[in-house]
Amino acid sequence: MHYNWDWGVFFHSTGIGSEIYLDWFVKGLGWTIALSLAGWVIALLLGTVLGVMRTLPGKVLPRIAAVYVEIFRNIPLLVQLFVWYFIVPDLLPEGLQTWFKQDLNPATSAFISVVLCLGLFTAARVCEQVRTGIQALPKGQTNAAYALGLRIPQIYKEVLLPQAFRIIIPPLTSEFLNIFKNSSVASLIGLMELLAQTKQTAEFTANLFEAFTLATIIYFVLNMGLMLFMRWVEKRVRVPGLIALGGK
Amino acid sequence: MISIKNVSKWYGDFQVLTDCTTEVSKGEVVVVCGPSGSGKSTLIKCVNGLEPFQSGDIIVDGISVGSPKTDLPKLRSRVGMVFQHFELFPHLSITDNLALAQIKVLGRKEDEAKKKGLALLDRVGLSAHAAKFPGQLSGGQQQRVAIARALAMDPIAMLFDEPTSALDPEMINEVLDVMVQLAHEGMTMMCVTHEMGFARKVANRVIFMDKGAIVEDANKDEFFGSPRSERAQAFLSKILQH
Repeated sequence: MHYNWDWGVFFHSTGIGSEIYLDWFVKGLGWTIALSLAGWVIALLLGTVLGVMRTLPGKVLPRIAAVYVEIFRNIPLLVQLFVWYFIVPDLLPEGLQTWFKQDLNPATSAFISVVLCLGLFTAARVCEQVRTGIQALPKGQTNAAYALGLRIPQIYKEVLLPQAFRIIIPPLTSEFLNIFKNSSVASLIGLMELLAQTKQTAEFTANLFEAFTLATIIYFVLNMGLMLFMRWVEKRVRVPGLIALGGK
Repeated sequence: MISIKNVSKWYGDFQVLTDCTTEVSKGEVVVVCGPSGSGKSTLIKCVNGLEPFQSGDIIVDGISVGSPKTDLPKLRSRVGMVFQHFELFPHLSITDNLALAQIKVLGRKEDEAKKKGLALLDRVGLSAHAAKFPGQLSGGQQQRVAIARALAMDPIAMLFDEPTSALDPEMINEVLDVMVQLAHEGMTMMCVTHEMGFARKVANRVIFMDKGAIVEDANKDEFFGSPRSERAQAFLSKILQH
């Protein structure tokens, strides 16, 4: 293959003000990070609540959480995004609908759709991990907490969740990385995150290879960084004298 | 103090407790023994409502455990329980293990709770280990901490569910010593245990269970001297053989 690599292309002007192509990637990365972190906050909070619900005594709450998981886990992410972006707004009451479709900046309304989509999708997966983490704990821990007079919310907050989260840090790390990778679906509804900026740069400059190589490197470095960060977290919360919790 | 009245319990069709009736008065030490699967652990867990039962009732300090109106967490906070596998909270330091329920359940101030915890830790001879985590202690030490944790709640009675069964032989005595000391101080105790030496030393009464029923409920001397039921005689002859 004869291809003249031109890495200087990123420093060429885009023709818009004093902007260079590299600026597009920086902006795109900004959107990617914002989308993923906002989605992760929803996923972690909602996923934890659902995971707890799945392990509660009784029938109704565990079942509601189970149904949630099946719905959000069994429909492709992209389909879910289209539902959130194209269908759900039409179902909103009139006032909200106009606000979402007309008053909001198009980038903002797309952002809201993607964050909801990523957050709710990932919550189903986080839920299952939180549930497994709780169920991996010996039943005696719950009994001991009950025997001391703690009430159910206290038992989860003080005894079960702190242990469960330490156990599930490794699979939770995968979900955390997945949400960054999954955020690229936003490019399909025109939100200018990293992948969309890459495609745009490729189209504008015809330097397809350079653009996608740079995007690949950015995604890789970003995810490696996140993984190392999570490893550091895992080490920090490790319990002295305990091998089973907090990883190797 | 603890009055168990005609308690029966089923897991589906399988009856685990059959019409159990007994009484533990204030300051009394009652040892519950019997072969495995006889329902002793289940019975003691019914006393603080960790296991539900379908018929009969248990009254602890005037409060019905079986009544749906009873505030079980509140009742449990007044009855200490020690488990076979210690069940210290592994993610909390020994100090925090001792303080957690004092703060969250009894509403004690943190420094007050820690002070009380440390005093009890000293009593079980482990004050040097306050800053450690459960995983850094031996089984016997963990069980002593577990006893201190229960005592920190100022319980009106203590339940022991096979407290020495998961321990290495050389650690059993350090736990029994703490229990003997407690008994001498007048603590009301109900202990599921196979430690017949402990029963001989401090028990007022011994309850023998088999197949979910209380077969024998006698004072200590009577139980060890001349058990009435054949089942208890057979059990005793087996475990006292060596």
